[in-house]
Amino acid sequence: MFKNLGDYIRTDSVHRAIYTDAEIFEIEMQKIFDTTWVFLAHEAEIRQSGDYKTTYLGKHPVIVSRQADGSVEALINRCRHRGPIVCQSDSGNSKFFRCPYHSWTYENSGKLIGVPMPQGYGKSFDKSQLGLVKVTRVAEYAGFIFGSMAAEGPTLEQHLGGVTKFLDAYVAVSSTGRLDLFEGTQKCGYNGNWKYQVENGVDPYHVGALHLSAVTPAAMEIYKQGSGSVIAMDGHGVTDHTDFGPMPADASLSGGFNLVIFPNLIVLRSQIRTIRPIAVDRTEIYTKAVRLPDAPDEVNLVRLRDQEFEFGAAGTFFTDDLEIFERTQEGLQSGAVDWLVFARGLDREGMRGGYMTSNMSDETQHRGMYQNWKRMMTAVAAAPAVDEVSA
Amino acid sequence: MSDALLVRPARAEMEDFLYREARLLDTGKFEEWRALFTDDALYWVPAGRDDIDPLRHLSIIHDDMTALSLRIKRLRSGHAYAQDPASKVHRLVSNVELGAHDEAAQTLQVMSVMLLVELARKRQTIHSARCEFTLVRAEEGGWRIRRKKVNLLKNGEVLENTPFLI
Repeated sequence: MFKNLGDYIRTDSVHRAIYTDAEIFEIEMQKIFDTTWVFLAHEAEIRQSGDYKTTYLGKHPVIVSRQADGSVEALINRCRHRGPIVCQSDSGNSKFFRCPYHSWTYENSGKLIGVPMPQGYGKSFDKSQLGLVKVTRVAEYAGFIFGSMAAEGPTLEQHLGGVTKFLDAYVAVSSTGRLDLFEGTQKCGYNGNWKYQVENGVDPYHVGALHLSAVTPAAMEIYKQGSGSVIAMDGHGVTDHTDFGPMPADASLSGGFNLVIFPNLIVLRSQIRTIRPIAVDRTEIYTKAVRLPDAPDEVNLVRLRDQEFEFGAAGTFFTDDLEIFERTQEGLQSGAVDWLVFARGLDREGMRGGYMTSNMSDETQHRGMYQNWKRMMTAVAAAPAVDEVSA
Repeated sequence: MSDALLVRPARAEMEDFLYREARLLDTGKFEEWRALFTDDALYWVPAGRDDIDPLRHLSIIHDDMTALSLRIKRLRSGHAYAQDPASKVHRLVSNVELGAHDEAAQTLQVMSVMLLVELARKRQTIHSARCEFTLVRAEEGGWRIRRKKVNLLKNGEVLENTPFLI
């Protein structure tokens, strides 16, 4: 492994080890997923008091729970006693979570409220110190709920940067300013690195090639007629084809934009896609479909049916993505050459509206995300608090 | 013996029908397989659980015959890379039961359990499913499918790539 992790990223290329080296993956879990803002839930998943969903923040199983006062808590789904997950449903409504092993019971705020025969632990036993561990910071923007394990660092809005205006526009497709979700989740897994999906969420270059069998001639006009752009936006990736038309209510492949909010959220068309990194060569993808509360039923039905036809494990687009992710993992076992090419558009990109921007088929947005990867991976850890040092 | 008993199809006839349906898929005869369906048919693989409302809940596949024909056309295009080469598939059809038989509508409900073994990318994957068919008697004789619902055992779990017809 290179001494300086930043050396894996060059201006025009990245090193294959970031996709294949298990040690680098473990560092990613700490320096990226345990540090920055990670997408956890959409507010529509947990709208009522007591609603919860389970998900993952990096390696941590997490419960995201709506409190009685309307706020959101994100709790590490791990009993403080011996460690089993205390909630195993994908979603539900509950005021309490009980670990069945020894019946330790927690409120949905994480507070430990029940321990059988607590006197056995002696006088120093303090239930108030044994609640479920909370994700340190939880914040919401435009209905998208994120968590960060770091006590300090940028606010969520600072982290999102210019992408906030795209999230605003995504929500504005609903005249109520609110998004609903269809029930259910498309759950897919592949034997490949998580960053293939990060790149692929904002990669117009591949659409006419890999998806030749699925993309319609009408949709290809976005790329032929449009003068859309790819944007490296505050460490996230954007493909903006609003010049071709605004984000359409029926979520057809026409105008609008794709967002990859680093490291684990993709927003495009009717979908909110979450990336779960499991191992250097294993990734799961969970996708929810957005329903517009004010749109006619037939429009929402198009959103749902198109999402099913094109995405998910049997989707006409997504099957070829999943296939290429696995073929890439296989190919990158070869160290015959170390560097992957991310140079497209380097000689024609330029600053537009404050962000490095280039032609629709270029790789500017990927370069921006890998500079963000490099920045996070090489960040010097914050100095420990004084009391930790003295201890 | 009542007339109803005389016209009620025998299970053996339905088994033959389901075996053929499975064999057409196993051998990649997708157009012949598509021709088993009526034009107003539904080909449905629910996601999450078996009893979802497909107007409110995501499915793995929810194809009318326009969508299914497109799906087959794509598989034939030469550019469906996740099926290049095509998965090798064996379907074992078992536990065949005949349900409601509506003589007036000429329809019959048939249930089966399917074990689907797929070989792709050097990996063998097993899917188990409880299948529900609504069959309608064809004018030319025999039966056609008005609805095929495949309730995958793991429809609520993470799925590996599933680019083949189920």
